Amino acid sequence: MPITILPPKAFRDQPPRHSLNHDSDDVMSDATSDSEDSDSQPGGVSLDGGATIHPRKRHRSGAGAAASSTFTKRPKTNAAINSIPRSAIVTPGERITTDPQWMRGHGTYLSSASLGEQAITSSLAGIVTRTNKLLSVRPLRARYTPEVGDLVVGRIVEVQAKRWRVDVGSTQLAALPLSAINLPGGILRKRTETDELQIRTFFAEGDLVVAEVQQLFQDGGAVLHTRSLKYGKLRNGVFMAVSGTGGGGGVVRSRRQVWTLESANNGGPIDVILGVNGYVWISKHVEPVVPEEAKGQTGITNLEEVVSATMYSSQNDRIEPETMREIARIRGVVTALVENGLRVDEDMVTKGYNEAVELALVSADGPEDVYLGGERGEQLAAALTAV
Amino acid sequence: MPREAEPSANEKAFLLKALQDEQIRLDGREFDQYRPLELTFGDEYGVANVSLGKTKILAKASAEVTVPFADRPLDGIFTIATELSPMAAPHFEVNRPTETEVLLSRLLEKTVRRSGALDTESLCLVAGQKCWSVRVDVHVLSHDGNLTDAACFAVVAALRHFRKPDTSMENGVLTVYTPAEREPVPLGWLHSPFCVTWSFFGEEGETALLDADWMEEQVRVASVTISLNRHGEICQIAKLGGVPVEAVALLQCTSVALTKVKEFSTYLDDKLAEDAKRRDKGGFMAELRAENDRIVG
Amino acid sequence: MPLDTSAYSLALLRVDGRRWNELRRIHAQIRTQAAADGSSYLEMGHTKVMCVVNGPSEPGPRRGATSGGGGGGGQSKNAEVAVNIVIAGFSSVDRKRRGRGDKHILELQSTISQALAASLHTHLFPHSTINISLHVLSQDGSLLAALINAATLACVDAGIPMTDYVAACTAGSTSTYAANDEGADPLLDMNHQEEQELPGLTVATLGDSDRVAVLVCESRVQVSRLEGMLAVGVDGCKQVREILDRVVREKGIKMIQEGTVERGVGLNDMELD
Repeated sequence: MPITILPPKAFRDQPPRHSLNHDSDDVMSDATSDSEDSDSQPGGVSLDGGATIHPRKRHRSGAGAAASSTFTKRPKTNAAINSIPRSAIVTPGERITTDPQWMRGHGTYLSSASLGEQAITSSLAGIVTRTNKLLSVRPLRARYTPEVGDLVVGRIVEVQAKRWRVDVGSTQLAALPLSAINLPGGILRKRTETDELQIRTFFAEGDLVVAEVQQLFQDGGAVLHTRSLKYGKLRNGVFMAVSGTGGGGGVVRSRRQVWTLESANNGGPIDVILGVNGYVWISKHVEPVVPEEAKGQTGITNLEEVVSATMYSSQNDRIEPETMREIARIRGVVTALVENGLRVDEDMVTKGYNEAVELALVSADGPEDVYLGGERGEQLAAALTAV
Repeated sequence: MPREAEPSANEKAFLLKALQDEQIRLDGREFDQYRPLELTFGDEYGVANVSLGKTKILAKASAEVTVPFADRPLDGIFTIATELSPMAAPHFEVNRPTETEVLLSRLLEKTVRRSGALDTESLCLVAGQKCWSVRVDVHVLSHDGNLTDAACFAVVAALRHFRKPDTSMENGVLTVYTPAEREPVPLGWLHSPFCVTWSFFGEEGETALLDADWMEEQVRVASVTISLNRHGEICQIAKLGGVPVEAVALLQCTSVALTKVKEFSTYLDDKLAEDAKRRDKGGFMAELRAENDRIVG
Repeated sequence: MPLDTSAYSLALLRVDGRRWNELRRIHAQIRTQAAADGSSYLEMGHTKVMCVVNGPSEPGPRRGATSGGGGGGGQSKNAEVAVNIVIAGFSSVDRKRRGRGDKHILELQSTISQALAASLHTHLFPHSTINISLHVLSQDGSLLAALINAATLACVDAGIPMTDYVAACTAGSTSTYAANDEGADPLLDMNHQEEQELPGLTVATLGDSDRVAVLVCESRVQVSRLEGMLAVGVDGCKQVREILDRVVREKGIKMIQEGTVERGVGLNDMELD
């Protein structure tokens, strides 16, 4: 919906003011007091209901002085907005509090208020959240910020001597050290120089991996690892990027990021990996092939040993057209969820998929119809939000 | 490509501390004091050599007869070419303009050309067919900060010193006279604009310096270049980003800049007069004498 | 082509019917491009620009040449702000194509890059680059101001922390440099015709302070005119900031209504003392 801004009304009928520095300290005070957003009321965070924050505050008089909202003076352009106070979100440069008991978290900075006071000020457009005494601002949308333990899907962009650099949709490339992957031939094998020379045989540029954030650098860079059977190279499926955690619709952190979905229409089982960073991988579920001779000598190390032989293969298995169609359908569901601003997690995807199958049954093209864009996406989203 | 050598963190901290806590510049100048400005003219007309401390700039004006642009048949052509070569600093490359060079040439363009300092209409010889094309080449010989002010001064000095060959139109025949036939004539000059650059330091740009040297330029957080002429007309102001500075401070900068511009203007006038006196040997009659100058003593 | 602006003194109305202190209609949207990290579309009168922000992100091993560069290179402690401006050939009357190396465009790019680098908290994103791509669709004066406003909005949309909005507008004066009349009025927000005819400047301020991030004047004007023009310009920036802020708030509130963003601890629910 386009937001139409009415032209500002003439805010002054005085003769032009030519002077800027009759008083260097208070230069613009006459300008602001004349304009429609009067600043003359005492600012600060009010304690009674209604709007709590002054958008622009110059003088702070007395902590907690009750201030009526200056916002009410402004014409509302949209009646629906009235139901949520404008203070529900903060914008860059907006002062949150000058009370020294609060601590400054992400999305805020300290700016000097009057009289040497430090004010916690928002640096983002977003929502204020509070953890004990820590105030932070969660942005409406931002790039993914890695946290230890996150399951992410990433793409190798650079191969270096002893590590890979992986794009995980963050502000910096993540590192995947050679020492943090499962080497073929068992988990306990020592890393050798041969492995370093053959680094491209494990992952090369452009390969997709699923990994876990192992640790964070001081500057926010992430280190990944794939030391588990769940992790490693991705094949047999389709990649898509939606916005990740950090605000907005998209993948949210949840109990399960990876699960196998039993698809309809003879599609067979399909794996869905929702990377916390918003990168999604949907693929045919392939049971680890355990050769007959290895079955006798069970034991976890052996199993890994055998599996890891196929772990770094870049060859896709055969995928039936039915499976491909269902993969495409799941992809359509995720796209529809994101386009309609809904969160993407196991529950929503599973429900959405079932709904999509139903939709396809009533469609003119029958169950083969996987189109979920435009109106049908909205229909799907409406069905999901109604439940 | 050699990278610009940055001062170390310690050097930066030292300079800033001296500036903000002690109000002292590293070279002991006042905050609003220029380094010694020197101007010498070459033997030819239109060559100006400007040095501002260790910053040295050579500007050379030249003119030739060409065809005017089709959309401006009544105007002559006036161009300013800047050249920042590896001679000035190793990180400048030939034929690859750096941001510094682009901004410098835009500033000169706006200050001298767009403000109408040179009367381009007087460069027209035959409307739509022949006109003078005046060109100033600016060469930076040594870079120690504040290229803009020095380059602008050099350009204006070179143009005001320059003489183009005299011409005449008779019965549709255009004659260009050699200097021996007729004394060359000065360009149609309307006003002399000069640039004054302020550099700002500190978190909120509260400390302002004139004529920053290279070291100070690397540490500054913002700068504003104000171009004015002695009549108090602004030709151009450029504060291209950087840390925001109080509006009132900018107004103060402008008024100080005006006094500096008046000093520049007087200095240039004196130098031009001095040079004219040196060249004037008593007119044609003196030149035609066969005697040599006698060295006395 | 000289334009007759003498009518101003009769009715105190400008060529497009505005008073001296009126802004043109500003219409802005954010989040216009789904694929980008941040995007905006902004109209100031008939000047129309689009902005797309990508990043902050770390450039891969083979990075192309970037122009601008306020805030330092890719390997430094601060994020680099790379600005790229495309001026559409159909955006103005003369359909002149501007090449890549056009100095005027390079200057605009550098200005926007340096202005935003001072407000954005680039120290939070070492080694990364913030790519800002601006597209000019239609020009009718105040181009630099519109570009700065669009870039600010797109950066807010991208969720890049910043000290405050960088809001810009233009101011002019009814006197020419020759006329030394004292009765000249300052004008707010100049259109193309006025920019051709009258002296003017572009101002950008940080938030609603009087601190000037960008000040560009490209015309000859009496020094006594500067104060009035600057005062009007700074005041206009504050109005522009309010308008930009309203756009962001309305988008944010709409997102909360739609449930895209969970409503956080509203400040009301918090006892802040």
